[in-house]
Amino acid sequence: MSKPRARLLSEAEEVPSRLEQFVDSRIWSSRIFTTLLTLFALTTMYFVWTVPLAFTEQLVFACVCFAFALAFRRLRGQYATLVMIMLSVAVTGRYMYWRLTETTVWERPLDAAWGLLLVSAEVYSAIVLMLGYFQTAWPLQRKPLPLPENRDEWPTVDVFIPTYNEPLGVVKPTIYAALAIDYPADKISIHVLDDGRRPEFKAFCEEVGVTWTIRTHNRHAKAGNINEALKITKGEYLAIFDCDHIPTRSFLQIGLGWFLRDKKLSMLQTPHHFFSPDPFERNLGTFRKVPNEGELFYGLVQDGNDLWNATFFCGSCALLRRTMVEEIGGIAVETVTEDAHTALKLHRLGYTTAYLAIPQAAGLATESLSGHIGQRIRWARGMTQIFRIDNPLTGKGLKLGQRLCYLNGMMHFFYGIPRLVFLTAPLSYLFFGAHVIHAAAGTIAIFALPHMMHASITNSRMQRSFRHSFWAEVYESVLASYITAPTLLALINPKLGKFNVTAKGGQISKDYFDYAISRPYLILLVLNLLGFIAGIVNIYLHWDVSSEVNTVLLNLAWTTYNMLILGASVAAASERRQVRTTHRVEMKMPVMLKFSTGRTLACETMDYSEGGVGVKLPGDLEVPLHEKVTVSLFRGDEEYAFPATVGFTAVGRVGLRFSALTREQEFEFVKTTFARADAWTNWSEGRTPDAPLRGLRHVLVVGMGGIGALFEHLFVDARNWLTTRSPDVKKLKTKD
Amino acid sequence: MKVITVVSAKGGVGKTTLAANLASVLAARGRRVIALDLDPQNALRLHFGIPLDSIDGLSRATLAGDAWQTVMFDGVDGVTVLPYGAVVEDDRRRFESHIDRNPQWLAQALDKLGLDAADIVIVDTPPGSSVYTRTALCASNFALNVVLADAASYAAIPQMERMIDAYATPRANFAGTGYVVNQVDQSRQLTKDVLKVLRNLLGNKLFPGVIHLDEGVSESLACDTTLIHYDPLSQAAADLRACGEWLTNAVDSTQLSPRSVA
Repeated sequence: MSKPRARLLSEAEEVPSRLEQFVDSRIWSSRIFTTLLTLFALTTMYFVWTVPLAFTEQLVFACVCFAFALAFRRLRGQYATLVMIMLSVAVTGRYMYWRLTETTVWERPLDAAWGLLLVSAEVYSAIVLMLGYFQTAWPLQRKPLPLPENRDEWPTVDVFIPTYNEPLGVVKPTIYAALAIDYPADKISIHVLDDGRRPEFKAFCEEVGVTWTIRTHNRHAKAGNINEALKITKGEYLAIFDCDHIPTRSFLQIGLGWFLRDKKLSMLQTPHHFFSPDPFERNLGTFRKVPNEGELFYGLVQDGNDLWNATFFCGSCALLRRTMVEEIGGIAVETVTEDAHTALKLHRLGYTTAYLAIPQAAGLATESLSGHIGQRIRWARGMTQIFRIDNPLTGKGLKLGQRLCYLNGMMHFFYGIPRLVFLTAPLSYLFFGAHVIHAAAGTIAIFALPHMMHASITNSRMQRSFRHSFWAEVYESVLASYITAPTLLALINPKLGKFNVTAKGGQISKDYFDYAISRPYLILLVLNLLGFIAGIVNIYLHWDVSSEVNTVLLNLAWTTYNMLILGASVAAASERRQVRTTHRVEMKMPVMLKFSTGRTLACETMDYSEGGVGVKLPGDLEVPLHEKVTVSLFRGDEEYAFPATVGFTAVGRVGLRFSALTREQEFEFVKTTFARADAWTNWSEGRTPDAPLRGLRHVLVVGMGGIGALFEHLFVDARNWLTTRSPDVKKLKTKD
Repeated sequence: MKVITVVSAKGGVGKTTLAANLASVLAARGRRVIALDLDPQNALRLHFGIPLDSIDGLSRATLAGDAWQTVMFDGVDGVTVLPYGAVVEDDRRRFESHIDRNPQWLAQALDKLGLDAADIVIVDTPPGSSVYTRTALCASNFALNVVLADAASYAAIPQMERMIDAYATPRANFAGTGYVVNQVDQSRQLTKDVLKVLRNLLGNKLFPGVIHLDEGVSESLACDTTLIHYDPLSQAAADLRACGEWLTNAVDSTQLSPRSVA
């Protein structure tokens, strides 16, 4: 089912290897053959999972499997990855079978309660692991198709920029960049959909020559806004950008090609790229070093979805075919994640969607952790709502692959409870002596460790550029406490809860610790700490019972790991100061400086922001402060000059602040910076590649740092409280 | 031997400066370069540190029947300089009528130097039509037309094209004409507009970049040197290096065309 799609799309095939010839042979298109082979594989796997092995036999089996996995890890290519997945599935299957059949004997109700919770969490994790393997087994890595040479054949496009309450300063660069898109002027029409109905937006739009569109009500928020605009526009395609997602000039030419080739293509999504650090990156100091939370989704998951024709629509930085969107009645309005639901409706009608993993737009990440959490809650609730009202497992029109991708997309958001269970499971033993797993520590180790190790190295290989090992634990632990209630509520009744818009472009005026948002991790941290102490006491009391000591040690190790993960969560809630209202984007490009003497310097930029540029000076030159300079930036043949003054100076570099720019100059600045076709392509360059143990070490170091910083904050805040009696705790709204 | 003639229909476009700096850039790229001055102003040498009071040059040597090797100077940046020389008015007229009678004079004289195939001769000429420009075009493999981004330069382009068509184009070993826009200041709207027109008109004959207006250029002359030497970090120096690379590619791409190598 997927093979022809993969073959159609793979472009750079020279001489196929023997393996590839075998894979491409016609025998695979015979349904009978593939069914028989699948049945055979499943039967074999069943035996691998269920055959009983003695302790040493299981140990040998685990070692051999892991040795094979390590050997295949050294090979390159996707087929080696598939072998690693197969080994991981075999080992995990054995563990789960053993876990469910041998260890679920509980003597006391307390054991049973904890034990059931833990085993359910493990089943959930195993299912999500399998679904994840399925979803990302073969990322399609689609390449852009060029548009026809003859520009007359290019289709007409409406660019929609929906906005509600964001300040004009945030939306301006997006409008300028939309104007700078390389496309015939008579075939593109730009619409600012202003649900705030603000006069300054009207004035600005008229001045720069884009359409300002309003409606009389704000029903269904962004989805409703777009649907109203659909009624008064008529371009063959729509490009949608959130008001702070700045497109590059190449967006349409890169994205539209596939629509002309694939007549059933309804939607093409490109990544959401962020040029400012998200709260995790800012507070943990991992910006551009460790892939952020979103990169796994846009780097790997969507690319994997594309193979199964299950790319989700993400609401922005996407192209849609008007006729098909109109056929499903416009953008879906039934849930708070209108985008994913829209894609589901398109898939149900048999239309295709596509993903291009080339960042062609970029925006600001959410500023504060509370805002970030608010956004994730919305996604989680929205996906749960879809699960309830338009379940992708049932209903017409979807292929099995699509159903499984959607299922994982939704199940993924139920990680809240399992994560909380894992964070507290060892406490059941340390506090209450509950025996939640009915097995000896050694047996647990030879079944559970292979499962975890295989999952870890396989995922590390598949996700190496998009998620470093063990960081998922950190991201999930931070979000777990918040995501649990909304997903549960939405599961019970999809109508519960309200839509909230994430505020962007603000600033955090001073360092502070967000006690309100980190309360759950603080509680969990204190509990784990108490558990740790209880464990130590326990060892002291039962020094002579070796089985007891072993079990306590196992739980102590687990609780220590949990504490460090929670430490990292606490560190994420320790908001770092952010005074800058505009963000610097690192970018090397040629720049000319012209001084009042008429002399010039050919330099390279280090970074730029809306207010100016940072320039690397050749040699060890220095420029005096407050000197007036003309800065020239280039776009192809064109050169644009901007007046500026020196706002910062040091040996070998200089920070230039623009003087008041005219509208024309503001436009030119966006054209030469944010809108460059290559603005975001080398973003992850120079990053250390992932290795499981390195990831673990990094997370543990961050966790220790978080715990240390927490005590520092406690000390400082306590002293402030004692001296002033008015605690300087700034509370941010966590819910709207 | 590749002969590049730097020409312009109008005066004051910075032709001599450009010729000197390009010679310097090409020498820095490891080529043996001879900067040859066919302009009676005798100014090219000043960029290479040759003393103001030196009167030697190819005009005097030619009239006296001396070999050119006797008036060659080793200039800055490793460029070999052949100045025009200082001559009295009568000698200049005699020299010009000598060239006028024999347009192949420069080609023959260069052949006598016995240069290698990869060596480059950059010939600076006086603005507009003259016997110097004619003999230079008759000897050249490539003509580099220097223009400004203004209306007068634009209007004068056809005049120089006619001269090149008459004296250079018919020869098989003539690779073509290139254009470079000098002294550009893109903070002026008119400059931008004219530049756009020039790009449309000249297409790929035009050096894709520009040479930026830079006060360092005048300062370098005051210091008897090239800009490449005086302020290598300036934008104009960067532009000149890019121009030198473009010029090398344009000239070397003709290697396979049939031509006589002395």
